[in-house]
Amino acid sequence: MARTIAIVEDEPVIRANYADALKRLGFEVWTHGSRPEASRAFELRLPDLVLIDIGLADEPEGGFELCRELRSKAPQLPIIFLTARESDFDVISGLRLGADDYLTKDVSLPHLTARINTLFRRVDALRRPPSAEAQVLQGPLALAAERMRVTWNGTEVPLTVTEFWMVHTLVRHPGHVKNRDQLMRDAQVVVDDATITSHVKRIRKKFIAIDPAFDAIETVHGAGYRWKP
Amino acid sequence: MSTRLTLLLSLLVALALPVAGWQLVRQTEALLREGQERAQLGAAQALARAVAVEASLPPAGATYYLHRVPAPIVIDGSADDWSGLEASRSSDGRLAVTLADDGSAVHALIEVDDATRVRADAADPLGRRGDRIELALRDPRGLRQWRLANAAPGPINALDEHGAPLRGEWQETAGGYRVELRLPPIAADGSLGLVARDLREDGTEGALTLGAEPGSTLPILRADAARDQALAALAPDGARLRLVSSDGWVVGQAGALNTAPTLSTQAGGWRGLLYRLLLAPPAGAPGDFADDRARIDAPVVWQALSGVPASHVRASGASGSVVVSAAVPLPGGHGALLLEQSSDALLVLANRGLSTLVAATLATVLVAGLLLTGFAGVQGLRIRRLRNAAERALRPDGRLDAHLPHLAAHDDLGDLSRSFARLLGEVGAYTDYLRTLASKLSHELSTPLAIVRSSLDNLEHERLPSEARTYALRARAGADRLAGILRAMAEASRVERAIAGAEGEDFDLAALARGCAEAYRDLAAPRRVLLDLPAGPLAFHGAPDLIAQALDKLIDNARSFAPADGWIRFALAAEGEGVVLSVANNGPPLPARMQDRLFDSLVSVRDGVDAHHLGLGLYIVRLVAELHRGEARAQNLADGSGVVFSLHLGGMPRRPL
Repeated sequence: MARTIAIVEDEPVIRANYADALKRLGFEVWTHGSRPEASRAFELRLPDLVLIDIGLADEPEGGFELCRELRSKAPQLPIIFLTARESDFDVISGLRLGADDYLTKDVSLPHLTARINTLFRRVDALRRPPSAEAQVLQGPLALAAERMRVTWNGTEVPLTVTEFWMVHTLVRHPGHVKNRDQLMRDAQVVVDDATITSHVKRIRKKFIAIDPAFDAIETVHGAGYRWKP
Repeated sequence: MSTRLTLLLSLLVALALPVAGWQLVRQTEALLREGQERAQLGAAQALARAVAVEASLPPAGATYYLHRVPAPIVIDGSADDWSGLEASRSSDGRLAVTLADDGSAVHALIEVDDATRVRADAADPLGRRGDRIELALRDPRGLRQWRLANAAPGPINALDEHGAPLRGEWQETAGGYRVELRLPPIAADGSLGLVARDLREDGTEGALTLGAEPGSTLPILRADAARDQALAALAPDGARLRLVSSDGWVVGQAGALNTAPTLSTQAGGWRGLLYRLLLAPPAGAPGDFADDRARIDAPVVWQALSGVPASHVRASGASGSVVVSAAVPLPGGHGALLLEQSSDALLVLANRGLSTLVAATLATVLVAGLLLTGFAGVQGLRIRRLRNAAERALRPDGRLDAHLPHLAAHDDLGDLSRSFARLLGEVGAYTDYLRTLASKLSHELSTPLAIVRSSLDNLEHERLPSEARTYALRARAGADRLAGILRAMAEASRVERAIAGAEGEDFDLAALARGCAEAYRDLAAPRRVLLDLPAGPLAFHGAPDLIAQALDKLIDNARSFAPADGWIRFALAAEGEGVVLSVANNGPPLPARMQDRLFDSLVSVRDGVDAHHLGLGLYIVRLVAELHRGEARAQNLADGSGVVFSLHLGGMPRRPL
């Protein structure tokens, strides 16, 4: 049975374009133009994944509101914010509400579909029993690639998909410097240097929240970042 | 003209007030003095009329004067006994005659200048052919005559025709001879005739007399008790009256000067001194008027004797007081009356009402000056504060920091301040609008761009004729370029936000530069990267991420200008308190007109090759430099081989803990 993806987007042309692309990949796509319309639809049935624009018609923060509703209803539902906004503040707000990823609208459709597939893979992996999973172990860090879960000293670190891929890239070759281009390619995003920097800052914060002594991610100025073994 | 200069000038004008006050007081003082002199002249004239009636007037013309001396005079031919006594002199000064009464007898001292002495005895028949003195005394009893001559110094004994002896002593002097005589008693109205005959070498004979024809006699003046009493009856209290003969002899005197301390003496100390220095009109020297002079030789007296009343102020000797003299001719023209009165040196102070006025004026001027100065100072200070605030309002990075003073003031300055605040507010709003324009624009454009790109993505899955595919590819290239521009615009505003929130930390700038340099080697290939970095650590306080980002932009810039076989030189050095990071390349030189604007937003010197470059990279470099209290510069290399971009950094200000 085809997975269902809900697109909540007030711009009809973008909505239609994304819907066409996803349908082509075999997904079942629902499209909603406003928050009330989407809420009503989600009352009846939940999709397998939701793409939400933050500004919805006359509600500039409608997307956040919708995300909060959905998260309370379905804690495991993958949610991706897709928006024209790109300030750090919006990113942090979105992720704090429990979104799994935050993409700006200049993401290409192939990148978007790659994200969606990744998220579905993670959902699937979480449903499977944890036994037969390949894990990368690096000191106190344990990284389960399939389920996209990262634990530090046994405590789970709540990373978004983008962040997970960045950590994954760094940890695979500890001690090797990964430059921003590599991180960007692996995380399948096209963003500027400043965004990479703020991503790395957020990752560090999430680790430090668990272990205040955390300093495994090292900045190599001019070059990039590396995982200190 | 600066406010300070204007204030200074206004203060100078205020200073003119005390000067004008001083002039006024001086004028008043001069007027008072003039009034006093006039009054004294009037009094003297009234007295003169009375004196002319009461006292017997001395006759006009040349006279002898009979001095009164306390000590007896010894007839010895020496002039010692006569010192201090004034003589009557002939008009050419060669004959000087002094008469003195020592209580026992009248004595005479006759001094003659005679360079051609022809000596002969009086008794010698040839005596008439030598130098000699012919003496005549006339009184009511008749005329007596003596001839005095001596061939050698020594005593003389002359007899008149009645056989009355005349004792005397003859002495030769350096320029002539001197004769000291004891005269017989002379009545009060007696007169004296005296001729010195000088036989010259050519045989002619000259006669020296005191103005009268030889053979005539001249009256003898003397101090007269009756006249003194008549004057004393007239003399006002504290004033001195002197009657002066037509050739200056004092023939009557009454009253004394009042030497009691005056008001201006009591205003003693430095204040009195200051007053006298600043205000007192000049006074003459006291010498000519000494109390016991038998003859007064002063212009004021001579003027009166010539018939014109005159007045004079002189210092009295005691500080703080002066003597005012008024001399008037006596009616009939035979002499003058001199009225002297001691007076306060500063009439202004002596006058209670006027001194109060002066004090009040001075106090008013002082208070007005102080108020003016204070007011001007306060206004100047306020204007300066407003100016400084207005200058500070626009910070070097273009942000506004408007904390204007006097916003609540109800005067013109308050209005000005409020106008400034309004203006600055509007400028600020506009600046903010411009600053956020890029990020707003990128936000607004990203949705239509997303439409274009998602449509193109979808188009790739449609079957298209190959010609149409070309156009689709071109549309994608255009969309990608547009996306690049939007990303750059968004990045600039994100960097601005990052800078606003940046916190400084201490780190090793040399290590950072070395790290960056390694990365740049790969990036810049095949261009050569030349390094000029310090070997040791270089401590710096700042935001390493932002500095690395700025360096990225500089290297990126250098890479796009240096030819493929060219070089890029990366250098770091300490410079004074701060550091300088520079990136040079051998690309084409900068056009002169652009050098100042290179680091502004949306400025680019690239020509068409890389048209989607927005010129935001160097703008970010500038922002980072300004965050570190420094500046970014771009110059052509001196030898023309390329261009150098340098970052002069002072380090971020440390926050107080």
